[in-house]
Amino acid sequence: MASANTATSTPALSFPRPIFAAISPHSFLQAHLSNPTAPNKAFRANGRSAHEFRTPGIKTGALTHCHGSAVVRVGNTSVVCGVRGEILRAEDIADPPSSTPDTGNEVHEDGGDDELDSLRLLVPNLELNTGSTPSNIPGSAPSSTAQTLITRIRSLLLSTRILRARDLRIVYTPPPATPDEVPDRQVKAYWTLYVDIMFISLDGNAFDSAWLAVLAALRDTRLPKAFFDQEMETILCSDIPSEAAPLKLRGCPVASTFAVFDGWKDGDATEGTEDWVLSDPDAFEEGVCQESVCVVVDCVGGRGSGQEQIRRIEKSGGGVVGREEMRGLVKRSVDRWTICEGVLKGVGSA
Amino acid sequence: MTLLAVLSHLNRADGSATYTHNGYAIIGAVNGPIEVQRRDEMPEEATVEVNIRLAVGIGSPKERHLESLVHNTLRSIILTRSIPRTLVQITLQVTSLPEEEAASGVDSACTLLPHLLHTALLALLSASIPLSTALTSVVIAVPASASSKAGTTMLSPTAKELLRAKPIRATHVFAFSGNRKLLLSQSMGVFAYDEWGEACEMAEDVCCRDEGGVGLGEDMEVKGGQGNLEEWLRSVVQKKVEMEQRWRVAT
Repeated sequence: MASANTATSTPALSFPRPIFAAISPHSFLQAHLSNPTAPNKAFRANGRSAHEFRTPGIKTGALTHCHGSAVVRVGNTSVVCGVRGEILRAEDIADPPSSTPDTGNEVHEDGGDDELDSLRLLVPNLELNTGSTPSNIPGSAPSSTAQTLITRIRSLLLSTRILRARDLRIVYTPPPATPDEVPDRQVKAYWTLYVDIMFISLDGNAFDSAWLAVLAALRDTRLPKAFFDQEMETILCSDIPSEAAPLKLRGCPVASTFAVFDGWKDGDATEGTEDWVLSDPDAFEEGVCQESVCVVVDCVGGRGSGQEQIRRIEKSGGGVVGREEMRGLVKRSVDRWTICEGVLKGVGSA
Repeated sequence: MTLLAVLSHLNRADGSATYTHNGYAIIGAVNGPIEVQRRDEMPEEATVEVNIRLAVGIGSPKERHLESLVHNTLRSIILTRSIPRTLVQITLQVTSLPEEEAASGVDSACTLLPHLLHTALLALLSASIPLSTALTSVVIAVPASASSKAGTTMLSPTAKELLRAKPIRATHVFAFSGNRKLLLSQSMGVFAYDEWGEACEMAEDVCCRDEGGVGLGEDMEVKGGQGNLEEWLRSVVQKKVEMEQRWRVAT
């Protein structure tokens, strides 16, 4: 005790960075963001500016037993996603859909995707690996965070209608009995896609990286050619790799998450408090911020007019972001879309 | 179809409310502030716990998602810092859903969410939990323009209307606080920013009391006197206060 007193000549309350961050995370982040000398050059605790996203890194095809897979790394968050197709036979469906199968033309391009939802042809699952995040207790049931994430991913997969039901149908055309008879096509089976997402490490922004991994894995997916064999009366898959077909995805929606950091309102705040909307929050910032906004945009659809389409806006937890702020966030999401789309494209050509 | 609210009818809970609207009926119960488990205790804030029970079947990840949305929204309006190291437990039991609900083709999370929020708020009011503001919430559906009504926006549609207007292009859920701040927005489908802004403005008109004194327009009258949500909320609270002040008023 005595030696400590003599050794320190600095003011009594001075902590090194990590201790300050642990004791008072809110004022730690605020001290970083409110830089009085250069207000527009303020940085967050992780060295990024408020509008800066982390650059994603994507590798596909890492898992050999999947039909498609991707590893996505965004800062310290890394996610693996594997897509595996399994065959669901039409005779095993208790209540088969009555809709007529597509006739092969492109007229029904936009309709008839109800099977994806009603037959549950998309089965996403999410797992937080042991040790991926301190709040994850191994061996227990999926936490409510994980369950929320998986609901959001499933709902986004369905509401963006990214997959076409015709890609997942296994259609059989019986040989015509008479030459001029129009053969009626029957759906003999469906591909069910099991989309498994695993977080190796989680440093904030779980949804964006998980979604990016799902997107990359689906783009990488090649399903073998499956056909109904009349003699054996069963579904067979061709083992010729060149016959495997990729999925045709509709558009390329990219999610961007923002966290809203509100400055302290109590205490000796004299001037108006300031709020910061932080792009791509990490785990520390997520712990401090209550309000979060997630915007999913897709610019593929309206490429000609340069008009972006919003696929989803999710905002909860506070009242800072209103209509005007949202305009700015949509703009930031569109910028993010350009970057992510570029990275996804680069993966495809490699 | 009018909004119906009964407050403080469960005598064992600290606060309770039953809310009925458009075929949805939800019972909400609030216990709090009560003792919190050591694991969930926060030194400077109250812990808010939301449990949602379905009308049929057991809970699924979908309910966890709804719970987290309701939790995040309520946490921002409950004065959690004034009751630190306590627990506010909110239980919402859905007792009935409209029959057409499953067939409407809209994510049930969207259509149910405003009702859950209203029920939770009423139950919190009934339990006299300190709140910074009230909230009102509404769902808006935009049918695909191919439909007969040429893409008219539907405000707080019933399940039947949704079924008739199928396919739906976009659905939005908005919640506004008493001071006209956007507390929650859940939008899905395909839309542009301007459409979202329009829907948001429309929701604000319904949710928040008109300051300018301009009428809400004819379509509101057609809706069967649903009127303004904040006014409705005020009338509910007024009734509650009158009820509690009976002993003073009675002579």
